[in-house]
Amino acid sequence: MERAIVHLNVADFAVAVERVVDRRLAGRPVIVAPPAAARAPVYDMSDEAYRAGVRKRMPLARALRLCPEACLRPPRPELYQRAMDDLLRRALDFSPLVEPGPADGHLFVDLTGTSRLLGPPVDAAWKLRRRARNELGLDPIWTLATNKLVAKVASRLVKPAGEYIVAAGDEEAFLAPLPLHLLPGLKAGDLERLARLNLTRAGQVAGLTADQLRVAVGSRADLIAAAAKGLDAEPVLPAGRHTEKVSAGHVFAGDTNCPGKIKAALLEMVQEAGHRLRSGKLAAGGLTLVVAHSDGVRCIRRKRCRPESANDFDLFELACQVLELAWTRRVRVRSLHLVCWKLRPLSVTLPLFAAERRQVLRRRNLVAALDRIRSRFGSRAVCFGRTPAKAS
Amino acid sequence: MIPLAVHSHHSLMWGTASWMKICRRARHLGYTGLAMADTDSLSGLWQFLEACRCHDLRPIIGATLTDPRTAGHRVVCLAMDENGYTNLCRLLTRRHRQAGFCLPDELAAGGKRLYLLTTDPDLLARLHTAGLKVAAMTERPLTAGHSLRRMAAALEVPLVAAAETFFPEAEDHLLHRLLRAIDCRGCLQRPETRQVASSRAWLAAPDDWERRFAGLPQALAASDMIAEQISFRGPDFGLVMPPWNDRDSRTAHRVLRQAAFAGARRRYGNRLPPAVVQRLQHELEIIAGMKFSSCFLVVRDIVAHSPRTCGRGSAAASLVAYCLGITNVCPLRHNLYFGRFLNPGRKDPPDIDVDFAWDERDRVIAAVLGQYGNRAAMVSSRIVFQPRMAIRETARAFGLPDAEIGKVTGRLPRFRRSYFAESRLPEALREEGQWRGPALGRTWDRILNLAWRLIGTPRHLAVHPGGVVLTPRAVSDYVPVQTAAKGVPMIQWDKDDAEEAGLVKIDLLGNRSLAVIRDTVANLKANGKKFAENRWRPEEDQATAGAIATGRTMGCFYIESPAMRLLLQKAGRGDFEHLVALSSIIRPAANEFVRRYLRRLHGEPWQPVHPLLEKVLAETFGVMVYQEDVARVARALAGFTDAEADALRKIMARKDRRRHLADFRQRFWAGARAGQVAEDVIGRVWEMMLSFSGYSFCKAHSASYARVSFQAAFLKVHHPAEFMAAVITNGGGFYTTAAYVSEARRMGLAVAAPDVNSSVAAWTGRGMTLQAGLATVRGLAAETCGRILAARQERPFSHLEDFLERTNPSESEARALADAGALDSLAPGQDRAVIFWRLARWLQKRKNSSGQLRLFGTAARQPVRVPRLPPDDPLNLYRRQFAVLGFLCDRHPISFFRKRLERFRPIAACRLADYTGRRVNLAGWLVTGKLVRTKGGDPMQFLSFEDETGLFETVFFPKTYARFSHMLDCARPYLLTGRVRQDMKAVCLEVERIARLGRQ
Repeated sequence: MERAIVHLNVADFAVAVERVVDRRLAGRPVIVAPPAAARAPVYDMSDEAYRAGVRKRMPLARALRLCPEACLRPPRPELYQRAMDDLLRRALDFSPLVEPGPADGHLFVDLTGTSRLLGPPVDAAWKLRRRARNELGLDPIWTLATNKLVAKVASRLVKPAGEYIVAAGDEEAFLAPLPLHLLPGLKAGDLERLARLNLTRAGQVAGLTADQLRVAVGSRADLIAAAAKGLDAEPVLPAGRHTEKVSAGHVFAGDTNCPGKIKAALLEMVQEAGHRLRSGKLAAGGLTLVVAHSDGVRCIRRKRCRPESANDFDLFELACQVLELAWTRRVRVRSLHLVCWKLRPLSVTLPLFAAERRQVLRRRNLVAALDRIRSRFGSRAVCFGRTPAKAS
Repeated sequence: MIPLAVHSHHSLMWGTASWMKICRRARHLGYTGLAMADTDSLSGLWQFLEACRCHDLRPIIGATLTDPRTAGHRVVCLAMDENGYTNLCRLLTRRHRQAGFCLPDELAAGGKRLYLLTTDPDLLARLHTAGLKVAAMTERPLTAGHSLRRMAAALEVPLVAAAETFFPEAEDHLLHRLLRAIDCRGCLQRPETRQVASSRAWLAAPDDWERRFAGLPQALAASDMIAEQISFRGPDFGLVMPPWNDRDSRTAHRVLRQAAFAGARRRYGNRLPPAVVQRLQHELEIIAGMKFSSCFLVVRDIVAHSPRTCGRGSAAASLVAYCLGITNVCPLRHNLYFGRFLNPGRKDPPDIDVDFAWDERDRVIAAVLGQYGNRAAMVSSRIVFQPRMAIRETARAFGLPDAEIGKVTGRLPRFRRSYFAESRLPEALREEGQWRGPALGRTWDRILNLAWRLIGTPRHLAVHPGGVVLTPRAVSDYVPVQTAAKGVPMIQWDKDDAEEAGLVKIDLLGNRSLAVIRDTVANLKANGKKFAENRWRPEEDQATAGAIATGRTMGCFYIESPAMRLLLQKAGRGDFEHLVALSSIIRPAANEFVRRYLRRLHGEPWQPVHPLLEKVLAETFGVMVYQEDVARVARALAGFTDAEADALRKIMARKDRRRHLADFRQRFWAGARAGQVAEDVIGRVWEMMLSFSGYSFCKAHSASYARVSFQAAFLKVHHPAEFMAAVITNGGGFYTTAAYVSEARRMGLAVAAPDVNSSVAAWTGRGMTLQAGLATVRGLAAETCGRILAARQERPFSHLEDFLERTNPSESEARALADAGALDSLAPGQDRAVIFWRLARWLQKRKNSSGQLRLFGTAARQPVRVPRLPPDDPLNLYRRQFAVLGFLCDRHPISFFRKRLERFRPIAACRLADYTGRRVNLAGWLVTGKLVRTKGGDPMQFLSFEDETGLFETVFFPKTYARFSHMLDCARPYLLTGRVRQDMKAVCLEVERIARLGRQ
C-alpha cells in the first residue's frame, strides 16, 4: 500500500509558543534564552532574529549584539512540552501512529490507509493544520510524502511557512535539484568528500552507481544513495511507548564551576527522577550522568546501583560518586543530564540486619513524608537546604 | 626575629611576589634581615641582594631543598660562608640533574657549611649524626611532648620559630591559589588542597611571632642566633673568564697576539699599514690588561665551526676581533670606536656575540658544550607572565573554554607591560581603542584584575637561545645548573644575573638572513651560475645602492620593516655609511632627531649644539645616532671618565633606567655647568640622550649588520628568484609568506605551485620563476615529504596512482597536495574533481587490500570507472589552495573583490604618489602593523597594506584608530578611504575610514 506520511513542523517552536502566550511578540524578533547570565546559550529564536545572525546555542550577549531590538524571553520547557502534548493529542485524532520530536514542534503522522475514514491524506493534513491554528494558535508547516525523509526535506525547503506535497513516484525528481545539505543523515564529512568531486546536488549523487558512490563515501554509500533517491522505509514510531529510562536534566543559567551549584542541581535532578521512579513504582538499577561543558565536550560516566533504589538519599549518594568520575575537566559546566536505567519494580523487602534496616526505613519514611507534603502543597513546599528555593 | 624561610616568586608557581616587594614589606614590618629560601632554586639571588641593598636588610642566602621521591621532605639550607654557597650550588645542581637524588644522603655527603632547618624529627637526627649544623623549625609553639621538640632537645640543637612563607600579605592567598590552579591545570573554585600552601603562609609581623611564641620565647631568639652565625652576604667572583689551556703552555695573551697579527696579514696583506699595527697594539694592550685574551681565543675557536657568521654588538669595533675572523667589518675603515667595547675602567664583562645561520646554531652550541664539558652551560631565560598569557591562564583557571578565551585575547591590542604599570588591567584595556566593543561582564572583570597581578611573575625557566657561559672550574661551583627541556645544561640565572655575577657570556645567536644568503648562493650554484664570494663587494654595487635608496628592500635583513623602508625612501641614500647611520637612528623615541638628521642630510645648514661637540658628532650632522655617542658626549661636555660615561651609556640603553638615571643626570648637569656650558644647551643635549630609551645600537653593531643587509639587497637585485625562494624557505622574516609571494609577483617573478615531480621541500628559484616547496603545503608531514623526494630520486612519478603507490600518503596529506595543485602534473588536462576521484579510488583499494582476504575468490576486480563529474569551479579551487598554502600562486586574493569594489573606484597602490594631497579610495590586504603612542599617550597605528600592484603604508591617527581598531585583523581585505601624504619622497595614506570586504 502506498504510504502517506505527514510532517508537521512548527518553525521556531519555543518562539511560536511564546507568541501564543504573548500576542505582542508577533512580528517582532524574539530570542528565548536564560536572561540571568550574559553567557547563557540561546535556546531558540524567531525568524527575524535568525535573519539578523542569531543562532541556537550562541552566547546570549553575542546574540543581543547582533539583534539588539530582540525581545528576550526565558525558556519555559514545561510550557513547550504542554504545547507539544496538545499538538500530539490533536494529531492522535487522525492516526494512532504519531511520532513526536522532543518538544521541538516536529511531528510525523502516518496517514497510510486512513482515506476511507478521513478522506485523502492531503485533506486530513490540511484539517490537522487548521485545528492547530484555530485551537492552539500555532501555524505549522505541513508536508506530505510517501516517507519520513522526503517529508522532512520538503519541510526544510518551505521553512519558515507553507506546505508541500510530494506525490508518490516523484521523490527522486523532487530531490534531484536540491542541495545535498538538505538531506537528513548526511554528515559534514560526507558533504565535503562529495563537494571535492563537484557533487553538490542530490540528483548528481543519485546518478552514480553503487560502486562509484562507494568510492566517494565508502561504507556510507548505501545510506547516502537511498537519501539522494528519496528512499526511506523507517516506520513512524508511535508516541507514548513505555520508557525504559527515567531522566532529568539541568541547564545552568550561566556556565559554572561552583561545586555548590553543581551539587545543588544534581540533588534537584535526583529528586525529580526519584519522584518519577516512585510514582511509577520503579527502582533504578544504575545511574548515568552526562556532564556537558561550555566548549561542547561531554563526559559521560555510569555506575550500578546495588540494590536498586528509588530513594533520593541513596540515589544522591550514588550520583555524587558518578559526578566525581564525570567532572574532571577545568572547563565550566553548562548542563547536567541524569539517566536512571535498569528499572525494576520497586521492592519492599527490607535488609536483613537491624542497623541497616533501621536506616533504610528512616530514609524511606522521610522520602515518603516529603512526597506527601509535596503532593499536597506543591513541589516547592519543602526542599533541602542545599537546593535554593526557586521563585515559582 | 629574622624570617628564615621566605619564598619569592622564584619558587615557581608557588610564591607570588618579587624580592623587591617582599623586602619592602619586611622593612615595613620592622625586620632587619631576611633569608631567601626559594624551592630548589637560587634563580632570584641577584634580585634578592639588590632588594636587600635597597631596603637596608641583612641578606641570608639559601634555598629550600626538596626530595623528588618524597613530597614531604623539605630542608631549608642557609649558606654560612663561600664554601657553604658552593656546596649549596652543587647540591641544587644534583637535585636537578641527578637521577635518584636522595635528600638525606646528599645532604649528609655535601651539606657542610650550610645551616639546615627541617620540620622532620627523623631527618633532623640523621643530619645531626652526619655532623651538620641543624635546627628544628616550627611555625607554632610545640608542646613539650611533641616529637620534634623532644628530638631537638635530645640532640641539643635549637628549636627555631620559622615558617615557609609564600606571599607577603594575607590577601595574596587568592593569587597563590590562582598560581597553583594554573600550575596544576586545575580550577580556582576546586583547589587540590595538597597542592596549595596554607592560608597562613604569609609574612607575619615580628609582633605576631612574639604573640604566637609567647610561651616559647627561646624559639624566637634562636632565629637571631642562627642569623648571627651566618656571615655570608653573597658571592663575589670578580670577572670569571673562560678557561684557557694551551698544549705548548703559552699564555693566552701570547697566542692572541700571534693570531691577531696573522689574521691582520690575511685581511690587509703582508705589509701591514701603520694604523693597523698601532690599533692592534693598543687593543692587545687593553685586552691583556683586562685579562680578556682567553675569551677572544675561545670565540675564535667557536666561530671556526661555521663558514658564515656575523659578529654583532660592540665587539665588531675591535680590530683584533676582525683579524681573528669573529667580525667582518673593518673598524678602521668605518671609524668604529673600540672604547665602547673595552676600556680599562670597565668593571662588567663585555659580551661577544656572534650570529650563525639559524639552522646551524644548535650544532655549534652542542659542539661547544661537548668540548668544555661541565665547565660550560647555557644561560637561562626567565619566562614571565605577559599580559596575554596571564589573561589566558587566569581565564582557564576560571573554567572558561579556550574558544571564548581566544575570542577575547584575539581582541587584545599589542600592548606593552609598561602601559599598564599604574592602572588596573580592565581600565587599561578600555583605554585601548580595540576594547570599545561589547562589555565583557563581571567574570571577565575579575579575570582581568587578577591577571594583572600575575603579570611579571616568572612561570618557568627556559633556555636562552644562544647564551653560553664558560668557567675555569665546574659551572655548578658558581651557580646551580639544571637541565633544559632540550637536554642541555642551563644555569639558573638569566643573562643579566650572569653579568651581575661576573660570568662572561658568549652569545651564539641564530640569524635567518645568514641562512638566506647561504641558500641563495647554493641555489645559484645549483643552477650553474658562478658566484665568487671572496671577491664579493656588494657595498660597491650601484644597482644595490639604488634599491636601498628607494626602499625596495622587502626580504632584506634588517632593512625590510615598513618603518625602515620609509626612512630609506626619505633619506634617498643607499651607500654603506648612511645605511649604518640610518639603521641605528631608527628608534621609537627619536622621531624628532630622525627628522633633524634627514633635513641636514638633504642640505639644511646646521650648527653643533655646543662647540665641544662639533668633532664628536660631525659625522652625523650634530645628531646623536649611535649608542656610544652618549658616552662620547658625556666625556666631551661633562668631563665624565671612560667608566662613568660607559655606565651612563648602559643605563640609557636599559628599559628600566628611570631608577638609576637621577644620579647620572645630576652629575651630567654639574659637570657640564663646571665646563661653562649654558643651561639650555645642557637641557637639549640631555633630551637627545633620553631618546635612547632602551633602543639603541652602537655603530659597530650597525656596521656589522649593514654588511649583511647589503649582501641580501645585492642578491635581491641581481638574483631575485633565488633570493626570494631562500627568504620564504627560511621564514621568520618581518612579513608572512603570502606577503613575500606578492612581492615576488610584483618583481615580475612567476610563482609556480608546488609539484610532486619538480619541487623539493624548500622553495627554489631559477630564472624568473619561483617554485613553491613541498614543505609549504600545510598538513604534509616532514616524513611524507622525505618519502616523496626519495621515491622521486629513483624515477619521476609517471601518473597519480604511481605517486600514491610509491609514497603512500595519508588521506589528508594527499588531499592537501591535490588542493595545493601539487598533483596536477600527474593528471594533465584532468579536472581536480577527477584527481580526487582517482585518489578516493586508490584509498578504497588500499583499505580493501590491507585487511583480510576475500571470502569469495581472489580475482582482481575491475577498477570502478570514473563517472562524469561536473566541471571544477575555479573559485573553489582557489579557496582550497589558499587554505593549504596561505597564498594564491597566480593572483592576489584581493582580485576576487574587484567587481564589488568597482563602484568605489579605488586607485591602484602603485599610483598612490600621483594622488598626493587628494582624498582617495584604495583596496588593501592587511599585511602587518605596528602600534605606537603619541606624546600624549594616545595609541595610533602604522599599518602596511597591499593590493595587486604594490605595498603601501598607512597611518591611523588616534581618532581613526579608536574608531576602527576593533575591525583590524591580519590577512584580510579592506576598503580604505583617506588622504595621500608625501614626506621627503615617502608616500603614506592618512586613513580616515575603513570597511571590511568579504564575509564578516
